[in-house]
Amino acid sequence: MSIVRTNGRGTTQVLGNTAKWVVLIFFFTFTFIPLLWLLISSFKTNLELQLKPFAMPEIWQFANYANAMKISGLPRLFLNSIIVSTVSTGLTMIVTSMAGFVFSRERFPFRQGLLNLILAGVLVPIIALMAPYFRLTNSLGIYDSLWALIFTYTAINIPISTFLLYGFMRTLPRELEEAAIMDGTGFVGRYWRIILPLTKPGMVTAGTFVFLFSWNEFIYAMLLTSRPAVRTLQLGIRFFTSQFFTDYTSMFAAIVLTMLPTIVIYIVLHEQIIKGMTSGALKG
Amino acid sequence: MKSIVRGLALLLIIAFAVPVFANGGSDAAVEETGEIVLSFPTFWVGQDSKSGPLASLLEAFNNQHAGEIKVLLEPNPDTDGYRDKLNTQLSSGRAPDIFVFNPDPTSFQYYDSDILFDFTDELQGSWRDNFVESYILDSTKDGKTKSVPYEIGITPIWYNSDLFAKVGVNTFPATIEEFWAAADKLKAAGIVPGSQMTGGSNAWTSMLWFSHIMGSLGGPDVWDKPLTDPVYVKGAEVLKKLFSDGNTTRDAVGGDAGVSGGHYMAGDTATFINGPWYIGRIRGDAPEVHAATRLAAAPKIGEYSGHQIGFMLSNLAAGNTDDPRKRDAIITFMKYMTEPDNVKMVSESAGSLFAVKYELGADADPLQREFVRAASEASFVIGHFQSQVDVSVIQEFGQALAAMALGEATPEEFVQMLIDAQ
Repeated sequence: MSIVRTNGRGTTQVLGNTAKWVVLIFFFTFTFIPLLWLLISSFKTNLELQLKPFAMPEIWQFANYANAMKISGLPRLFLNSIIVSTVSTGLTMIVTSMAGFVFSRERFPFRQGLLNLILAGVLVPIIALMAPYFRLTNSLGIYDSLWALIFTYTAINIPISTFLLYGFMRTLPRELEEAAIMDGTGFVGRYWRIILPLTKPGMVTAGTFVFLFSWNEFIYAMLLTSRPAVRTLQLGIRFFTSQFFTDYTSMFAAIVLTMLPTIVIYIVLHEQIIKGMTSGALKG
Repeated sequence: MKSIVRGLALLLIIAFAVPVFANGGSDAAVEETGEIVLSFPTFWVGQDSKSGPLASLLEAFNNQHAGEIKVLLEPNPDTDGYRDKLNTQLSSGRAPDIFVFNPDPTSFQYYDSDILFDFTDELQGSWRDNFVESYILDSTKDGKTKSVPYEIGITPIWYNSDLFAKVGVNTFPATIEEFWAAADKLKAAGIVPGSQMTGGSNAWTSMLWFSHIMGSLGGPDVWDKPLTDPVYVKGAEVLKKLFSDGNTTRDAVGGDAGVSGGHYMAGDTATFINGPWYIGRIRGDAPEVHAATRLAAAPKIGEYSGHQIGFMLSNLAAGNTDDPRKRDAIITFMKYMTEPDNVKMVSESAGSLFAVKYELGADADPLQREFVRAASEASFVIGHFQSQVDVSVIQEFGQALAAMALGEATPEEFVQMLIDAQ
């Protein structure tokens, strides 16, 4: 028999650490288990998946991965998705950071009305805009090109991104700008040298939102393109569904393959990503 | 900040440099040669059973008409997404050159506009002889045939003859009394009598069972009766029994088509309902069950028997045009697609059935032959329940069925829930 001596502070520390680990393990499990299930399911047959969704595969079906590569043409779709998502995110950031700057820092007639008009776009369901966007892209001569998707995604995301950046910029202290004006900085200089660098965390938030939207978007990708050469990843994944049958396991294999580059990029760059997302978080 | 600017500049340079940013591909070059180019957006791509044979047909057509007509397939790998896209295109007045037309009441509304190519005159000639006449009539509205009937489907009762033989039943029960007797024998042998489902968007398998039941109770004109007719309650009573007393699997309530089809393919259940498009799936995933599967009409419940549930699945349509060369090209292609030999090739390869008259070859799948036999022996054919009611009713169907199966609703209440959803 042994006697364990602990003081109150030690007990609190142990309890605190235990609670921390419980929370961490809970969220790790919550995030990791579905991914693990997806990975394991991607090696099953469809019949196994339907009848024993949580069992291990009887025979590991590596052919699902070959099937995924063959049917969907993933590499090209992946490249298109990267181009569309990145360029539309960049364009949205340029446009909405300017809009956010003007609406949050300048005073001019109809400012609030114009701002409300733009922000009201958040409330419009994107499916309601299918016919106008289709006609517009045809009229502009960009139907069936990546530009159709880039401009559409940019336009769709302008309201929400403006809302986020406007809100962020409004919290920045005016004194910084006033000091810059005293030093002779003009309108563009205030935007470019003062406000924009301080808005980095807000831009990371808005940019992440826009990028994820563009990456996952399906309806417009289908509507505004027809050639396989300009299709994006979300359409490739749908190649495994047909009118009466879905090849879930090959689809899961395709999803795993599309996740791999993102995971690799995150593993390599995670320090910079976290740094970027948290920089300025503690500044007033 | 400089790095951000550099990054964006680089992206824009890439954007302008990468050729996929240009629209339209090589259309202009093709047009310069005088070749008529027809776009053909379709969802018969990817994993669809018609994907391969369709690609072969198009390749052969383009080779035959090299320098004159070229049909460019535009893959749209999601049926619902394809329909959304097509509706947007049609409502924007920009119909594709050739496309797969969903022969439902919503799509037939486009017949009233000038956007669709009118095949009425062409179908007065010898081309009409290629088709089963009833499908031409079904595709004709107000005297105009603006889409060409193509793929059809029937959904007989599938039964595993090995499982039935195991309990001494060698032919499919002809009456509902014989069916319940066979079900008792199956259950005694540890076999679940039938696959059912309440999930998915329309409780497909069970909705088809309900359609068969209603056909037997109400005959060829059953769908003319309003939902308030007592025949629907009678049908619901039979449907409820199919979910009771161990007549189906425990996961049928809430289960989707994967559950329903999965149990049948695993040999857990003795009966199932689906169309010919499922042949390829069962042949590949469950060859023993495929070999044992036979098709039958539903057991006689009311006055009528021997009927089948059938419907047009997909028609072919084209965008209207005044260009005489393009009109000729469209008609040439449509005739090519509906030539009996070409249809036979697609049918044998994909397992599908068509509105065109053709004979299956000696190598055709035996189950596909069963489908042709079932269709030809049908005393009458009616559409399924889903095709007769509003979307809101069919969305409620699965919920109401689940409530009835769980004992939370009586057959009367089940029907009332459907009426309320109208």
